[in-house]
Formats: sequence, C-alpha cells, structure tokens
Amino acid sequence: MDINSFMDGLSIALQPVNIMWIVIGGFLGTVVGMLPGLGPATAVAVLIPITFSMNPVSAIILMAAIYYGAMYGGSRSSILLNTPGDGSAIAATFDGYPMAQKGQAGPALAISAVASFIGGIMAVFGFLFLAEPLANFALKFGPAEYFLLMLLTLSAIVALSVGKMVKGFLAMMIGLALATVGIDTQTGVYRFTMGIPHFSDGIDFLIVIIGVYAIGEVLYNFLNIDQQKKEKKKVGKVWFSKDQWKRSKWPIIRSGPIGFLIGVLPGAGGTIASMIGYTTQKQLAKNPEEYGEGAVEGLAAPESSNNAASVGAMIPLLTMGIPGSGTTAVMLGALIMLGLRPGPLLFEQQPDTVWALINSMFIGNIALVIINILLVGLLVKILDTPAKVLYPIIVLLAFIGTYTLSYSTIDFFLLLIFGVFGLFMKVLDFPIAPLVLALIVGADMEQNFRMAVLSSSGSLGIFFSSGVSIALMILTILSLCYPLIIKLVNKKRNNKNSAEEKFTKTS
Amino acid sequence: MKKHGLIPFLLLVLLLAACSGNAAGNKEYPTNNIEIVAPASPGGGWDLTARSLENVLTGQDLVKQNINVVNKPGGGGEVGWQYLKSQDSHTLAVNSSLVLTNNLLGQSELTYKDFTPIATLATEWQALAVPADSKFKTASEFLEATKKDPSSIKIGVGPGLGNDDHLSLVQAASEFGINPSELNFLVYEGGGDVVTALLGGHVDAVTTSLSEVKDQHLAGKLKILAVSSEKPVKGIEDVPTWKEAGVDMVFPHWRGIMGPPDMTEEEIAYWDKKLSKLVETKEWQKVLDNNDWEGFYKNSKETKAFLEEQHALYQKLVKDSGLIN
Repeated sequence: MDINSFMDGLSIALQPVNIMWIVIGGFLGTVVGMLPGLGPATAVAVLIPITFSMNPVSAIILMAAIYYGAMYGGSRSSILLNTPGDGSAIAATFDGYPMAQKGQAGPALAISAVASFIGGIMAVFGFLFLAEPLANFALKFGPAEYFLLMLLTLSAIVALSVGKMVKGFLAMMIGLALATVGIDTQTGVYRFTMGIPHFSDGIDFLIVIIGVYAIGEVLYNFLNIDQQKKEKKKVGKVWFSKDQWKRSKWPIIRSGPIGFLIGVLPGAGGTIASMIGYTTQKQLAKNPEEYGEGAVEGLAAPESSNNAASVGAMIPLLTMGIPGSGTTAVMLGALIMLGLRPGPLLFEQQPDTVWALINSMFIGNIALVIINILLVGLLVKILDTPAKVLYPIIVLLAFIGTYTLSYSTIDFFLLLIFGVFGLFMKVLDFPIAPLVLALIVGADMEQNFRMAVLSSSGSLGIFFSSGVSIALMILTILSLCYPLIIKLVNKKRNNKNSAEEKFTKTS
Repeated sequence: MKKHGLIPFLLLVLLLAACSGNAAGNKEYPTNNIEIVAPASPGGGWDLTARSLENVLTGQDLVKQNINVVNKPGGGGEVGWQYLKSQDSHTLAVNSSLVLTNNLLGQSELTYKDFTPIATLATEWQALAVPADSKFKTASEFLEATKKDPSSIKIGVGPGLGNDDHLSLVQAASEFGINPSELNFLVYEGGGDVVTALLGGHVDAVTTSLSEVKDQHLAGKLKILAVSSEKPVKGIEDVPTWKEAGVDMVFPHWRGIMGPPDMTEEEIAYWDKKLSKLVETKEWQKVLDNNDWEGFYKNSKETKAFLEEQHALYQKLVKDSGLIN
C-alpha cells in the first residue's frame, strides 16, 4: 500500500461534491434495495445518462455507493414484510421477520444496519491490504471449484430445514428444474421455452423472489384476513439491547471475512455470501434451535456477510476488469463510456481514481449506517399501516419491479403463477429459500459441472484434484450430515444426563 | 337557397381538411420522438452503441427530436428485433452479425431482409489469446498443435456458440485446414469469465473481443497471438494480424443500426445524412477510442450490399462449425 496515493485518494473522496454523491448514492441504493425487484443494477443503469456529464471519479464513487447502499436497504423489507428486495437479502428473512413478529422490528433494523457497517468496513480494510493476492486466489477457482462452492451453498440451505428435509429437497429440485429453462449454454439448444423468445434467457430469479415472497405473502395474509386481531403490533425500541449486541458481536466479526472472500470470486456474489454466512453461524452456534425463530445472531451474520461481499466484488472489477456480479457488469459498461477502463493497468495509470474509490467506501459506509439508523423510526411505521392499505401497495410495487426487469408483460403472468405457488408453499409449510437459491445458482452450476467434466475428458477425478475442491467437498458433506450429528450429540447428552440422573438416584 | 348555401360550405370544410391532412403528410420526417432499441440488458456492446448514439446525436444537435434508448433483452436480439418489426419508422434498433446467425442457426424466423438497413457504424476486432507462459509462441504454432490433436486443446468462448468470438476462430481454423467442428470449446457466461478462466489456467486459449484482452496483454498477464484486423492495431503493433500469421482472413465484429421494414427513401436519406455527419464528430471518435472500437461506417446502400456478402460468409461458417448439419 502506498501512503501518498492513499492520502491523495482520501482528499479526493473528501471533496464536498464527492461526499454529496456518496450520500445521494447511498440513500438511493437503500431505497432501491428496499423495493422488491428494483435492484442496484437497475439503479446504476438508469443513472448511466447522468454520469455522462460527470467526472469519472465521481461517477464511480456514486455507482459504488448505490451498490453497497442496496445491501443495507435489501434487508429492510425482508425484516418488515418478509419480502427480500434482492437475492442477497433472502437470508435476512430467516430470523429478521420472526424478530419483527415478536415485536422487535426496531432492534432488528438497527442491528442489521450496524452489522452491515462492520462487515463493510472490515471488507474495505481487506481491500486495502489484500486486493492483489486475493485477485490471484480467485483465479484458482476453475469450473470444478465453482460447482462445488454452489453445491456447498445448496446443501447448507437444505440442511437448514431440520425436521422437514424431504420438503427442503423437493423445493430445491423444483428450483433446479426451473433453472433449466432457456438456451443451454454449452450446446445452444432451447430448453422448455415453449417457442416464446422471452424465455430464451431463462426465468429471472427476481420474478420468482417477488412472486413467491411478496405476492405469496399478500395472498397468505389475505386468506386469514378475517382472523387478524385488531391489536396494534408492537415495534419495540429503535435500538438493540446490550444483550443483543453481546450475542451478535462475534457472529458479525466472523461473517465479514467470509462474505468478503466469497465476494471476490467472480459470479458468486452477495446471495451465496449471505447464505454461507448464515449457515456457518448456525452450525457454530450453541443454540441452533433458536435460529429461524428470531435469533438476533441469525440476522446479524448474513447482513455483515453480504455487505462485505459487495466490497469484495470490486476487487476483480478493478484489478482485472472482470465484473463479478450483475451490478458490477453495468458499472463496467458505464465506466468504459467515461473513458475509464478498469483492468490490470488501472492501478498503475490512475491510482488516484482507485484510492479515491476505496476511501469513498469508508465514508460511504459511515454515511449509510447513519442514514439507515435514522430511517428505523420511520420504517417501523410500515408495521402500523393497515393491511388494506399496505398490501395493495406491495402488489403495485411488485408489478412495477417485475416490469423493470426486462420491460415485458409476459413476466406479469409468471409473477402471478409464482405468487400462487408461493401461497401453496406457505400453506403446506415448504421452505422457500432452497427453491430460490437453486434457481439462482442452477444454470451456472450445471454449466460449471459440464465444463469441469469436459476439461478432464470425462473423468470425475477433477472434483478431487485441488486442495480447494477437496476442502469444499468435505464442507459439503459436513453440512449435509450436520442435522444427523446434532441428533447424535443431543442423544448422547440426553443419555449422559439420564445416566447421571440414574447415578444420582442410586447413590 | 339555404340548402345550396350549405354545400359550398361543406366542400370548403372538406378541402381545408384535405389540405391540413396534406400538410401533415408533407411535414418532414421525423415528426415524433425517436426510439433506439438496444436488444440487450444495460451494459453490453449493443447497449453502449445505442446510448453513445443517443448521446452524440442529441449532444451535437444533429437530431432535434428526443431520443430514447429502450432495452429489450432476450433471445440474442430476438425480443428487441421482433418489437422493432412492429414499430413505425421512428424506431430503430442496434444490430450485429446475430441478425444473420440467429436465422442461420435455426433459432429465429427473422432474417436481415425483414428490416431496412440504415448503417454500419463501428467494429471491434477479434483476438486469439493464450496464457503468458503458454507453450504456443505464435498463432501458427497454436494451429499446428490443434491440427494434430484438436480435442487436446481447450478453447474458452462466451457467452454462446455461433457468435463472432466463436466463428472467427472457426474461420481461421478452416482456412488452416482444420475441421472446425472438432475444436474443443468450453462455453463461459461472458467475455469477462473467459479471460478469468485463461488467467487461472483453466483453458489453453481463448477467442474473444480484442478489448477484453488488450490491457491484460499490455500488462503481460497474457499473450495475444493474432488479431482479426486488416492492419496491426494501434497500441499493440507487436501483435500480428491473422494475415501476417499466414491465415488469409479479416474478421470484423461489426455493429450497426437498422429500421423496421418498408421505410421510405426520404426516411433512409435522413439517416444517411445525419449518421454520416455523426461519424465525423470528435465526440463519436472519443466513443470509439474509449471502447477500443474502430470506425466502420457504411451508408444504407453499402450496408445493404455488406449484409448480403456477410450472409453468404456466415452461412458457410455456421455450416463449417458443425452447429447445424
């Protein structure tokens, strides 16, 4: 790290105009992150014409602020309405929504903002010191390693549905089946597109998220709207308790680096990072039975993780010119139009730009944690909104969000189909996350598997050929056996306890 | 009498109506806002072309009407071009060789003949790149080795077979006497993923746009063996063209613009005038430089002939590639 460049960058980032862009970008990112379907990629794309007239440094600062701002915002609607704004916010529904239902919406929103902040700051430090070696580490990930990473994520998510594993596997299978729709990458064959060109790029996972979560949630509440009591829901304090902080502290600090490392891998992104952050936390926990019922650690861990991942995703973009996610791909396009070509030469040719960006991420995370904590008091009011006002608004937003994905009305039908589907899943008590996650990673997973096998001329040995792949394989098996292990441990403990009881009785 | 007085009056009204109708018809094209369709998501080459067009045409006051860029992603252009087909002459769409190959590969009913050619605007060049420490030092060494054992050499390409990245190497291989259908292609999600795979040593070579690998070459992270341009490319003069490497081909990865079917002569002439001015501006030159594109302007008439010639070429390439029988 070069101190002079660092200071130059800091002074650029501290220019009033750039601080203004950081705050605007962060706020905008928070808002689009909150709304289902409208994600950071759309927000950055809409802003492209505006960035034409901007200084390239300010443009990249603004776009990055939108990107990590959306990670803050994404969890807001997960916690309050059980409808994640984006794939990376799904993990926040697991414990965030139960917390809100228990009357702890305020503390949930506050702790997730703080967790995002700490995760983000840890990742910026990681960026400062580890950008180069990590970029090289990411290159080691070939098709086999990517396949195994996705397999690990899937198995970890399915293993979460303790007690209803069969349903978890079924949901995952449906997700994988949906992922096969579209042009097959390796052969160019059209699969299950029913002659409609719109389906050739597959089913957008965001439509499924909006349908299953948002529309499904509205329909589900509609079913028992008569039974709903008129009692006012408690929203709790706007700040978390000392005890909650004590419980979340270590999960936040553990999950930051995990998310950062996964974010560096091109293509993995915030969704996988937050899922791995959550499952790791749950598997390390002493109280796994509380997870899914509103455990504060279960919210803090994925929030720290996904924000760290969004910073990590900047590393392949800036050091190699390789976009690691949908949003960074749009950013790359916009930057090229401004005459700034991210790549191996950027650090040498325009160190000011890079260091200004890194410093802006420090300032941005500070601004965002303030914005989001200030918003807590306002956002919890959503819970006071009567259902007959709130639900039409959610439905409207769901349709708007869906339309902005590819400007096609065909998606409306998909949205409704998945809404009804989501309702049935809720009524029949199926876990939703395995379905959505399988759809998100399915197509990539398949293609990576095929490329791995093609490049080893048909031998499956490639999945055991590197240290990384063997480690991933072991983690996958561990995560699948985890429910079994827990059972065995509990049994032993019970046996021991009962043995001790006997012993005390006899003595 | 009263009745008689009414008839001339009615005639007068009719005449006036006819006149005003004529006036509207005579009003010069374009009368409405212009829409440029980018048949892809924001961020890609088509989107950049459409937005740069909008930016320069409006910024230089070449077109007075509002210009909107509309993204219609899906099906390798299919969704956007189907939409274009149903619009009037105020909608134009960006295109590339996919407008030919989608049909040749049997993936689309639409052909280039369904649209009005307006212009060819810019081109990128294709590059064949290998890792910096590769055993292949020249393009002919690479092709020789491939000829001996085509399946042993893994070649990265993205995001799908049948695109220019793929077909440019198909042409080079078949010029060299290799059966291109035997080449071992690994298909990645996109250009960036292809480069990552190469840098990580997961493939032996990649065929992609020059802009994806140029900086990496300059930084010494990988080595470009050949470019598909006519003359050596500025900035990397050390890299031979395919011609210099002994393979007789020039392969542009062009992008252009087309309109809906049945545009009138006047409407075509309008765009010929505006776009020929556009390509002369400094701002457009800057767009080309920023993107590592090269000016490749052809007016509507030249573009029509060019498309026919390209259609014949792609027909042969698609057949050689083994993608269709």
